[in-house]
Amino acid sequence: MTEVVTNPTPPILHGPSDKEKKYDRQLRLWAANGQQALEDAHILLLNSGSGTVGVETLKNLVLPGIGKFTIADDAVVAEADLGVNFFLDEESLGQSRSERCVNFLQELNPDVKGEHFPKQEGDNIEKLLGYGRQYTLIMYSLPIEPYTLALIQQYGQQYKVPLVSIHSAGFYSYFQIHLPGCFPIIDTHPDSTATTDLRLLNPWPALSEFTRNLTKDIDNLSAHEHGHIPYLVLLLYYLEKWKESHGGFPSTYGDKKAFREFVSEGARTDNPEGGEENYDEAVAAVLKTVSEPSLSSSVKDVFEYQPTAEESDSSFWIITDAIKKFYGKHGELPLPGSVPDMKAQSSVYVELQNIYKVKARQDVAEVLETVRQHPRGKEIDVNEVETFCKNAAFVKLIHSPDSSADTLKEITGMFDEQALLTMMPLSLLPIYLALNATSHVPSASTSEIIATISKTVPEACSDPRVVQAAEEVARANGGELHNISAMIGGMVSQEVIKIITKQYIPIDNTCILDGITSRTQVLRI
Amino acid sequence: MLRDRFNQQSLGVPLNTMVKEARILMVGAGGIGCELLKNLVLTGFGEIHIVDLDTIDLSNLNRQFLFRQEHIKKSKALVAKDAAHKFNPRLKLEAHHANIKDPQFNVNWFRGFTMVFNALDNLDARRHVNKMCLAADVPLIESGTTGFNGQVQVIKKGQTACYDCTAKETPKSFPVCTIRSTPSQPIHCIVWAKSYLLSEIFGTSEDESPELDHSEDSENAQEIEKLRQEAQALKLIREAMGTESFPQLLFDKVFKDDVERLKSMQEMWKTRKPPRPIDYSSTVQEVADAETRKSEILRDDQRVWNLHENIVVFRDSLKRLSRRLQSMKSTSDLDAAEPIITFDKDDEDTLDFVAASANLRSIIFGIETKSRFDIKQMAGNIIPAIATTNAIVAGLCVLQSFKVLRGDFSSTKEVFLSPFAPERLLSSDRYREPNPDCPACSVAQTRVLVDMSRATLNDLVEDFLRLELGYGDEFVVNTETGPIYDVEETENLSKKLKDLGIKGDSFLTIIDDDDENPRVNLILNVQEATTDLEDRPIKGLDISGSPSADGDRPASPIPRKRKSAVESNGQGVTGIEEVHPMANGIVGIKRTAEEALGHESGEAKRPKTTVNGANSANGTSVNGEHGSALIIDDSTDGAIVIDDD
Ligand SMILES: [Zn+2]
Repeated sequence: MTEVVTNPTPPILHGPSDKEKKYDRQLRLWAANGQQALEDAHILLLNSGSGTVGVETLKNLVLPGIGKFTIADDAVVAEADLGVNFFLDEESLGQSRSERCVNFLQELNPDVKGEHFPKQEGDNIEKLLGYGRQYTLIMYSLPIEPYTLALIQQYGQQYKVPLVSIHSAGFYSYFQIHLPGCFPIIDTHPDSTATTDLRLLNPWPALSEFTRNLTKDIDNLSAHEHGHIPYLVLLLYYLEKWKESHGGFPSTYGDKKAFREFVSEGARTDNPEGGEENYDEAVAAVLKTVSEPSLSSSVKDVFEYQPTAEESDSSFWIITDAIKKFYGKHGELPLPGSVPDMKAQSSVYVELQNIYKVKARQDVAEVLETVRQHPRGKEIDVNEVETFCKNAAFVKLIHSPDSSADTLKEITGMFDEQALLTMMPLSLLPIYLALNATSHVPSASTSEIIATISKTVPEACSDPRVVQAAEEVARANGGELHNISAMIGGMVSQEVIKIITKQYIPIDNTCILDGITSRTQVLRI
Repeated sequence: MLRDRFNQQSLGVPLNTMVKEARILMVGAGGIGCELLKNLVLTGFGEIHIVDLDTIDLSNLNRQFLFRQEHIKKSKALVAKDAAHKFNPRLKLEAHHANIKDPQFNVNWFRGFTMVFNALDNLDARRHVNKMCLAADVPLIESGTTGFNGQVQVIKKGQTACYDCTAKETPKSFPVCTIRSTPSQPIHCIVWAKSYLLSEIFGTSEDESPELDHSEDSENAQEIEKLRQEAQALKLIREAMGTESFPQLLFDKVFKDDVERLKSMQEMWKTRKPPRPIDYSSTVQEVADAETRKSEILRDDQRVWNLHENIVVFRDSLKRLSRRLQSMKSTSDLDAAEPIITFDKDDEDTLDFVAASANLRSIIFGIETKSRFDIKQMAGNIIPAIATTNAIVAGLCVLQSFKVLRGDFSSTKEVFLSPFAPERLLSSDRYREPNPDCPACSVAQTRVLVDMSRATLNDLVEDFLRLELGYGDEFVVNTETGPIYDVEETENLSKKLKDLGIKGDSFLTIIDDDDENPRVNLILNVQEATTDLEDRPIKGLDISGSPSADGDRPASPIPRKRKSAVESNGQGVTGIEEVHPMANGIVGIKRTAEEALGHESGEAKRPKTTVNGANSANGTSVNGEHGSALIIDDSTDGAIVIDDD
């Protein structure tokens, strides 16, 4: 038997830091810039009710290393808290709930700073929010005093801070994201197969010339050379020929099928294999790659949006403006610049890759030049421009909905109708209505809940499913189930990470959980 | 009790009592395990047993919140138990720092639990627990996460699909010629560096690596022979370790001479780009500048190194590994085996060596090079993992456990996290039916009590299987290592079972070879009798034959194989399932927990007749009703092999 020695490592003087090692598994999801954004964040939690859901959410943010958090909570730890909140113990009884929770949460990650509030007699919400712009995001759990809520909302408006509300009672829960104005995302992490952009219908001069050189004597090339023309070049060559005879590029499905045939006829079959692999690749790529450049609806949305004076000063809108100009001039977005793997001679393939890379770099340079002309343009990081150009086809804007009784009425009017039509499981809106009716009271009876709902959406009150949801909320009596709060806490923290890192697309804007059926639904309310 | 108030209120008294009285086994105390243990404890589960073989690592701390810096290298099971105990000292908790496959955890031990939770990180252990739970007929809640994706499934023998009902992706292996002669992707070069180069120089031979497939055929026989000679020559170079010339000898061997040989085989490069060898002495002069930036390069985890930088890292890590191996040799006993160094993703030296070697090979073959950060993931099979996903999945597990406690398996769900379908976040599907062709659960199972001192194979074959269970002439008895009886192989009949290698807790498989109407496979779990069995040396514990009316041949309690998968599909559901009648709740009257949880009211089921539910509003719906593979959006690699350590 051989002795397997894996670990007598000498002292490490190089390599990634302990912090990188600790966060290794998550860096693979949001990279160093996402991690930095988390470490720069300060999150405020206004806790209320039985107080578990907010703390469970924070736990999942402390572990991956947010910079700082503050818990504001007036409550004193009671016996019932111990049965539902993991971050309290017997010794905590009678003490400040915010202070005890902060202490326990901080133990989870020494890199994270935690503060509790109130600290002394007389500390109040005005003081908490009176330090100006210091929170990256505010979470509050429901129920909450209307007065406190109004102050938080005002703060969010004033400082453009995202707000997240969370309500968990019995088996039901929901959370709602209130983004300030429009929320742009550059790094949406699109599916890797969706990002190939070859520009076959509008090649730039260098690419056309490269194609011409490689195909100018196509019929007299040796078998080896002919069998190694990259498929991308083949497509460009046959598209040009097709255009000569048809007066335009293949656009309809029928055209493309005929074009596929046209390409495959060019393959040499007088060889032992009876065909050529590069031609097979070309034929296979026709439907996916031969298409007019078009803007996705989310990019159009970004282009059409009129940023406010304040917004337009941000780097996102300055770069967007430059890219819009680029698009106006060229009729296409900056080139992402990557080339998929294909059969080709090594030197030819490398040259082809370079042609794409050079063009991508030129496009970035052009956009950058426009950006620099903006008064604030000099402050913008070139990396941000590069990332934007690379992801230009996938940028996304989230508009916060106008919360009003009317939208709620509208959604209510069609909630189950739609579900029946699509044969989807029935809407979870009744759960939202019932929980929402207890936003400002610790608990309520079924009839009280129904009465509150009737003030905003009277027509919902006769719906038996709404009545049933109201009964369930009444039965919970303001109490949280740890498991439900832990689960919704996981979902909230996931969305908070998306918002803080500005990576991936957060939900828009309300997620409702029915713990009885293990179902969730996202609605725009 | 005040502390229990919220649970009592929402779960209702009967369910709350079931929760308190349940005995729970949790296998795995990692990412999901930590969350799950907390949720189970706070939901009020009274007795929880934890099994985990692992110890705590620094890279666990971003999510496994029961562990701290000071717990590194300690047992996950024990530390998790202590943390939960601190929270509630009245709890009954038991922790085993052990492998779940150890014999102490036998079928009878599994039978002692109300239900089992799998919070594991590997296929092998998952399949084992699945098998044990089927044999013990204990419900299993299976879960897993990878990055933002996750999954929860309830497994109940005979009622829902088991873990093995759908084939799982097995770890990938590559043909040896792809790795050694014709690489075309970064992973080929990484496997070459890790499983060939590193192990030939610092470890044992590559032949033991499961990542390499050495199967030979007429086409590759010649090439494989050549590769063998090449590996032999490499072993000789190993002798020069520690000498001044070692780095050059090794470099020129693998990055020049071997490449030259490959390049000279022109027919190999007719359809591929030929490689470009790198010469050590001419290149090494150019790396002086990079050499001065060595420590900076080594810190640069996420940037892709260029040729010169890779050479610097190659030389440096080679030096570090050579020194280490030599000092291990000088301190090891003379009679001890030769010390070796194996790849470990968290061992910087081996990772640097593999990263630089893989990149150099990629450069030679014109393949894209990768950063050390990416190579670590590919070489170490690292799966991204975060607290948020684990929290969601653990919560879903406990929600399913309530249905299991009530025995309400027909309303259990198979739930997927779908973070990239922003209109839902979760997609829950009705449980799947067991797959009638599943090798793990489409079988009959029974325990047999055996008097090991006297039971012979004949007692099993004639008395138990033929007379008691009604088997005919043609069947095969297999142990875990192979067949011991069939109609033509009868010489073992007079032997005692214990002399055929059968012990307590071993499994036997009976395969019916009846031409017309064969029984499903029967799995016997052998239990050693501790008291004297009076009449017969073998007794069935869970099933036994009932004498049939004519007294001639007993009716068989073992079901026959179903004729085809189609017939057995879709039990019970025909047409559109009726939407449950609305609860006639009257305002002001409180519903009981029983009413609220007893049924899932108001849920419209998809019509059975639409075979796939892909036409739903958001186009990403999945339908598991027909036992078809479930698909989830997955940004990483499309695999649902879901893991978190
Ligand atoms: Zn199965």
